[in-house]
Amino acid sequence: MSEPEHALAAKSAVQLNDEMLSSMRTPTWRWYGLAFFLGAVVAWGISAFTYQMMTDLSVTGLDRPVMWGIYIANFVFWVGLSHSGTMVSAILRLSQANWRRPILRAAEAMTVFSITVAGLFPVIHLGRNWVVYYFMPYPNQRGLWPNFRSPLLWDATAITTYIIGSSLFLYLGMLPDLAVVRDRASGWRKKIYAILAMGWRGTAREWVVFRKASTLMAALIIPVAVSVHSIVAWDFSVTVVPGWHSTIFPPYFVIGAITSGVAAVITLMIIIRRVFHLEEYLTPLHFDNMGKLLLVICLLWAYAYFVEVQTTWYAHEPIEWEVWSFMAGKYTPFLILMLISNAVLPIFALCFKKIRRSVKAMLVITVLINIAMFIERYLIIVPSLSHKNMPFIWGSYSPSWVELSVTAAAFCGFTLMYVLFAKFFPMVAVTDVRELGVRHSDIRLGRTEVHTISEEE
Amino acid sequence: MEKITSPYKWGMVIDLDRCTGCGACVVACQAENNVAICEKKEIAEGRNMHWLRIERFWVGEYPDIRVRFLPVLCQHCHDAPCEPVCPVYASYHNPDGLNGQVYNRCVGTRYCGNNCPYAVRVFNFHDHEHAWPSPLENQLSPDITVRSRGVMEKCSFCIQRIRRVKEDAKAEGRMIKDGEVQPACVQTCPTEAMVFGNIADPRSRVSRLSRSPRRFRLLENLGTHPSIYYLKGGGREHV
Amino acid sequence: METLGIFKDVETATRAVDGLVKAGFSEETITSLTSAPYPDGVIVKTDQRTWFRWMSMAGGIFGACAGFLLAAGTAYVYPVQTGDKPIIAYFPTGIVTYELTMLFSMLGAIVGMFVEMKLPPRKERPYDPAIADGFIGISVSVSAGDQTNRAESLLKESGALRITREETP
Repeated sequence: MSEPEHALAAKSAVQLNDEMLSSMRTPTWRWYGLAFFLGAVVAWGISAFTYQMMTDLSVTGLDRPVMWGIYIANFVFWVGLSHSGTMVSAILRLSQANWRRPILRAAEAMTVFSITVAGLFPVIHLGRNWVVYYFMPYPNQRGLWPNFRSPLLWDATAITTYIIGSSLFLYLGMLPDLAVVRDRASGWRKKIYAILAMGWRGTAREWVVFRKASTLMAALIIPVAVSVHSIVAWDFSVTVVPGWHSTIFPPYFVIGAITSGVAAVITLMIIIRRVFHLEEYLTPLHFDNMGKLLLVICLLWAYAYFVEVQTTWYAHEPIEWEVWSFMAGKYTPFLILMLISNAVLPIFALCFKKIRRSVKAMLVITVLINIAMFIERYLIIVPSLSHKNMPFIWGSYSPSWVELSVTAAAFCGFTLMYVLFAKFFPMVAVTDVRELGVRHSDIRLGRTEVHTISEEE
Repeated sequence: MEKITSPYKWGMVIDLDRCTGCGACVVACQAENNVAICEKKEIAEGRNMHWLRIERFWVGEYPDIRVRFLPVLCQHCHDAPCEPVCPVYASYHNPDGLNGQVYNRCVGTRYCGNNCPYAVRVFNFHDHEHAWPSPLENQLSPDITVRSRGVMEKCSFCIQRIRRVKEDAKAEGRMIKDGEVQPACVQTCPTEAMVFGNIADPRSRVSRLSRSPRRFRLLENLGTHPSIYYLKGGGREHV
Repeated sequence: METLGIFKDVETATRAVDGLVKAGFSEETITSLTSAPYPDGVIVKTDQRTWFRWMSMAGGIFGACAGFLLAAGTAYVYPVQTGDKPIIAYFPTGIVTYELTMLFSMLGAIVGMFVEMKLPPRKERPYDPAIADGFIGISVSVSAGDQTNRAESLLKESGALRITREETP
């Protein structure tokens, strides 16, 4: 066991509770200021969207042939980001890595909020948003049903499943922690937490069922996560659009999502650590391990991208090569930024333990990765549509202020949901971390004392 | 669930050796189908509403320049990429072989527009309710709607004309005669470069022309099986 | 009738359990209340078998049927020809069936978990907020009267800080 876990084991339960739940203390004026600012940007975005809905879609930058633009880039990006929590949490749970414990809650919360934001975009980009209920399969007097052959309906099904699944996953993980919070709260707060905690008492039997349920949910949510982003990838790859019609899209998108998600979890960890003074819980060891995970996934992404370009270049099908070289020509600075931030920089830098353990370096690397992932989504969608099969109709696209406002509102809305969540719910998996203390012991082996964490075989 | 069949399979032949690029078909289509009149700004933004466009290509170097015209309209593909991707069945395949667009069902996802390789689908980005300055609204055809904003539209082979002729034929208890139904573009073309009819009838004019050795279809490698055959110059020069 | 004793740490709690077992209480009636999970047997032994996973499987089967009906059934009832695709298409049906299977198996897992835990409880059960701060609760479920008093005195002897009794209805 490493130094930080040993230090934690020396603290009392009360102290651990206090420190890990520090995000839930009475809000300061700084918190109100932040929430107000974020709320203002969200309100601005909502008003921009309302303007779009009351006028028409000409306020966006969309035209023929680029009928999907930054709204869909946002959609794919946020779905990708939602892979953060489930993948990190589920994989680490199933592999029983101990260093997952302080990270889980933040990651799972991130999943729920990013998939919520993602689910808004298919409604935002519609030409007639007010009849979006045509998508819903409900028996009606005209006998109409939606078309399940359309990838958009697969999207709707998958995202519904994922929102419900990841919310349940988050709630399940929080159940024992909500009981701790309930016991420490008073007044109206206590009543609400008591309802949420469903009467959890922490009996031995409850823990047995809880552990089995957590493992089962983790095992179930991973295939859902993989399928959700594959389905989003199929929105593109089942078309005849050159540059989209590629079988590598589903695995490529899933890998990209995991990259984006792991990087975002690391960014979030850094922010939470700083804001809530959790330096003793989110230690350089955790960043080291997450950095290794990130390195592996960035290698996979670089490989997937290399394969995609290499097959396009080698076969040199005229229209496919045209799309690629058009993209590389028109968007060169973005392409270079993307390749450096997503592949060259992380792969080089994350090989070094010193960099992985340095919080500042990890912040820079992970923020750059997410910027690069957003650019990557944009570069998949827009250039392919700009140069389709009939050259007479080649066009271009640039986002308008409405679309950029909604994008900004999406980012701020996500952050705002996160800020509110951290204020009202335990941001660190309290009971999970305390379990380490339970299992910790110093065993005398030979000439020295070994710090151990016991695990059943 | 039996498949609904029809004795008609509408198809078109466009003879590029006769096309002069005059654009009368474009205007006729706009007049017949209540296609919105677009401002210059809209067209510059790439948001024109023409259901039928004449693609113009310059070939050769000065002084040996030639020009090629290619009228492109909805190809009414038998394996249309635009149809399966519509989440609400606004785009579907008609037993007559037409690709149908149901305006009041369209939610505006624009997936069909993206998936059309010919880029013939146009979307109402602008609100065209007032696209006809008075008294031009008197010219609007009552047989066809005026589309609202946020709705996708495209050439329908003048389905309202097909319907009217079908009803007349049914009332008289006969099949539609060859040449009886003509979409606006076909009717207007001064050089008779466009021919329309029932391809399922091997004796119709369009059927005979579609068997010409000069024939080709657009983007055949995509396997969309379009209903429109183009005829061009003995195989030496394709557009 | 449930009686709950609060203990400062693991040593006193385990001594209490030993005492209760020696005095003749069966392990099935004794359980621990902790805010962090302890490995099985450290304080009390519990049955490790659970049945809620069957509910998850039941949910999965229901979801598969629901998904199939949704994708294939609605297409059969409202057949519209799109492209050259069959009315009931394999891949879309498979995808939608899969998604709903997973959704309902997850819902089944959660509902089953709560049912097996018997939460939310129908009547008020003894609890102490100190448990959240790391104290350990030992609860004995026996018939009211003599047995309960014996259990309580044993708990007190082993060093319980507080005893809470289930409210008599």
